[in-house]
Amino acid sequence: MATLTATAEKTSPPGIRTNPTARKLAVLALLAAVLVPLAVARWAGGTWPEALTVNVSEPLGEASDWIIDNRDSHPLFLYFFGHVSNVVVIAVRAVYLALLAVGWAGVTAVSALIAWRVAGVRLALGTATAFLACGLLGMWVPTMQTLALMVVAVIVSVAVGALLGLAAGLSVRMDRVLRPVLDTMQVLPAFAYLLPVVLVFGIGVPAAVLATVVYAAPPMARLTALGLRGADKEVLEAVESLGTTARQRLLTARIPLARKELLLGLNQTIMMALSMAVIASVIGAGGLGDRVYQALASVDVGAALAAGIPIVLLAVVLDRVTGAAGARLGQAPAPNARALWAYALVAAVAVAVAGRLADRLEWPDGWVVGIAEPVNRAVDWMTDHLYSGVPVIGGTADWAGHFTTWVLDPLRDGLQWLPWWAVLLIVAALALVIGTWRTALTAVLAMAAIGVLGVWKPSLDTLSQVLAAVAVTLVIGFATGIAAARSDRVERLLRPLLDVFQTMPQFVYLIPVVALFGVGRAPAVAAAIVYALPAVVRITTQGLRQVDPAALESARSLGATSGQQLRQVQLPLARPALLLALNQGVVLVLAVVIIGGLVGGGALGYDVVFGLAQGDLATGLVAGAAIVCLGLMLDRVTQPTERRAKKGA
Amino acid sequence: MTTTDTTTGATTGTTPVFSVDGLWKVFGPKAARVPGDPDLAALDPAELRGRTGCTAAVRDVSFDVRKGEVFVVMGLSGSGKSTLVRCLTRLIEPTAGTIAIDGEDVRAMDKSRLRALRRHRAAMVFQHFGLLPHRTVLDNVAYGLEIQGVGKAERREKAAAVVAKVGLEGMEQRRPAQLSGGQRQRVGLARALAVDPEVLLFDEPFSALDPLIRRDMQEEVIRLHREEGRTMVFITHDLQEALKLGDRIALMRDGRVVQLGTPEEIVGSPADDYVREFVRDVPREQVLTVRTAMRPATSADEAGTGPAVRPDATVSEAIEAVSRAGTSARVLDDGKCVGVVDAPALLNVVAGDVAAGGPADAAPAPATTSEEPV
Repeated sequence: MATLTATAEKTSPPGIRTNPTARKLAVLALLAAVLVPLAVARWAGGTWPEALTVNVSEPLGEASDWIIDNRDSHPLFLYFFGHVSNVVVIAVRAVYLALLAVGWAGVTAVSALIAWRVAGVRLALGTATAFLACGLLGMWVPTMQTLALMVVAVIVSVAVGALLGLAAGLSVRMDRVLRPVLDTMQVLPAFAYLLPVVLVFGIGVPAAVLATVVYAAPPMARLTALGLRGADKEVLEAVESLGTTARQRLLTARIPLARKELLLGLNQTIMMALSMAVIASVIGAGGLGDRVYQALASVDVGAALAAGIPIVLLAVVLDRVTGAAGARLGQAPAPNARALWAYALVAAVAVAVAGRLADRLEWPDGWVVGIAEPVNRAVDWMTDHLYSGVPVIGGTADWAGHFTTWVLDPLRDGLQWLPWWAVLLIVAALALVIGTWRTALTAVLAMAAIGVLGVWKPSLDTLSQVLAAVAVTLVIGFATGIAAARSDRVERLLRPLLDVFQTMPQFVYLIPVVALFGVGRAPAVAAAIVYALPAVVRITTQGLRQVDPAALESARSLGATSGQQLRQVQLPLARPALLLALNQGVVLVLAVVIIGGLVGGGALGYDVVFGLAQGDLATGLVAGAAIVCLGLMLDRVTQPTERRAKKGA
Repeated sequence: MTTTDTTTGATTGTTPVFSVDGLWKVFGPKAARVPGDPDLAALDPAELRGRTGCTAAVRDVSFDVRKGEVFVVMGLSGSGKSTLVRCLTRLIEPTAGTIAIDGEDVRAMDKSRLRALRRHRAAMVFQHFGLLPHRTVLDNVAYGLEIQGVGKAERREKAAAVVAKVGLEGMEQRRPAQLSGGQRQRVGLARALAVDPEVLLFDEPFSALDPLIRRDMQEEVIRLHREEGRTMVFITHDLQEALKLGDRIALMRDGRVVQLGTPEEIVGSPADDYVREFVRDVPREQVLTVRTAMRPATSADEAGTGPAVRPDATVSEAIEAVSRAGTSARVLDDGKCVGVVDAPALLNVVAGDVAAGGPADAAPAPATTSEEPV
């Protein structure tokens, strides 16, 4: 009897009083009923009211003019930024010259030997192959430029990140201050960081390095703090019970116990730094990213690919080697580790000296394989044969056109047609359904800030691209994730693919989509989808697979079909993971949609690029601020309440 | 206090290693007001939590740990025993009361004195071992010496000797992850022994181990204690372990010590129903000694013949001797007959009838002998 009534209660739809989400929405509706008529009466509906915008372009323009005028005379620049800038330039230059002095053979040998010692023979071979491939593609010098910039940026990022992490790991107050800042920095698109540094340092290597540091240091700081806080309590207690001083505890226990997180932080910092070092070509980073950027500007897919492949190789090698170093941590080192390091060192020096003596420091021109020509021929062929008019399935350009006219345009026009208060209400309602009052408030304020900045229309354009891309990403991602969670074979097939795709910098995704779809908003959306998919698939798969096996087993023992298991057990229990996938998907999609401004995506991303190219920093800065607001809004709207607790950071 | 400490009077000659008096540890907001306020102090845990939001983990506990004894604190989870042992070296700061080590006030120590105490005088063995995963066995054992500033060669030499003592020869270069649970706890034990402390503190050291390995480790502790005579404070929730290792046992419940005495006293004369319930399933004949069951010899004949047993032999040993001989047995102390035991008296012990008599009046000497494996 008792069980019967219990189930009866559960199946009846929860009333408005008992369901917290419904209650929150009811309060919101009440608020809206009061505020909206007032607002409409005061400012009219439709697009964001003129009266509520603040013209920030003029003061920003003045500020940037002032900075440009005073850069050589004001003490702040002379005695602080000037020195920072000089040190960065000298450091990058020194590393670059050192790399060139060691020669291509030496660099390849040293990298391979380091990879051998920290990650094993296979990765050493992979590393050597990757570097040789960079040379073969004729990209040795740009590769070294990028590498030099990265080395400096990574060293600074790790130092800054580790110090911040140490502070947050040891002091609760610092943690409380830093954590929300780092969390937010994590979700902002890379493009948003470019303009402020350009404002201070001008276009060039210092700005590129500093933008990279700002982008790459947060993961190091987060993971350092996480490692220090997550240390085994009993080990620390045991160490304290032996009479250690606080310093001894830190050096002999807390930091060594956090080694896994520290190495993971290093890995993430390196990957973020590479990603940013390539994007920073827009602000004068030079190197591989610049080659891609220039090639894309003239839609020269072959040249872009020749520079893009080294980026991918570099990314994969760096990720695997640092990742393998982390995985090897628990094991005891080989007994003759020191001797092997010595051999490796001697061998590397020998190769470098041999290269020097043979006067073969520069990659020989005769060994360069030009892939640009054949690739461009292939792209031309594709343009001729695949772009349109393919029987039945149509062509890629047709698809892109249809996607633009049938999905992107209506979505954009629809969003821009909506009254501004309706957009704010929708944002609030969505944030409330997934998150809390707090996240809803932040989201609404961020969205309103966009209106105040006077970039309501282009932001909604960007938003429409994000929404379309997220929708496609989620459909494909959830479907693939479910398939991978249910079949080991699918997961085995997918895993290497996901591994590679997840390590690639955002920038390189633009190359293939331009080859396939030309330029415009559709290719930007396509690049965003491809970039965000791996993370969504992975999180979905993991979430479904981590569902309590006991719950699944009990469902099976009751005779549930596999469809019932999925719908009634796996998906509900994996809800936090699915929400996290949504959140990550949105954040990643936004990052690439913005970069899509480089290939005709228009909207906010274009404003940033335009601002940089024309030296109109005010436009760029406003767009950058709008990107920050948009990122903040999208993250908060999709932020599940549990996220913080779940990730522990 | 409801403690029945029947044996303290006998050894007041030497200063106790640890002397704990009126110790309180209260967790929660404004914890310090609880011990001083008789109204609050008298509340039971649920009421205290309701009234103040505080939890009293240790409530008004007093005991002495004598030199060379194994002092067991026993209780179920949540009884406050682990908090109590951490208060001894102030890994957890006590709320009220006094703790003295060799007569020196622990609560009055400044940071460096306290560090010196932890470094040289009291070392602890933990339930989950607390080993440093990135160090080899040898370096884990040498860790305590390292933080004291002992040179590398010297500390490794000392550590190697201790590693051998706990039976881990040949594993010096392994990492904790490569060891079994029992081996890891041997490393934990070796780390504590390496600093040559005056007292060893054990916090449920064997609870995470399999039963067979647990028994091995218990034998190991008994062996070490026999060889070195080091004072030990041993926390456990396992009554069998407490009876096997302890010279004296403090039984805790809800932060209070409900009974303190030798294993024989705890089993033979439980202080209250809680203790009685606790020891109900203990095989009494294996814990209680002949002293409990003996009576004065009624005739010279009885005092002169029959098998001889020691006064601290267990009842089960006496049963074996009596049933083999078919007569009553003599209890000989230094060759002098102090009494006799016969079959009915021994049966009474097994049946639980002698509890009324208790060992208090029957024990002329304190139970200072270390517990021999039977």
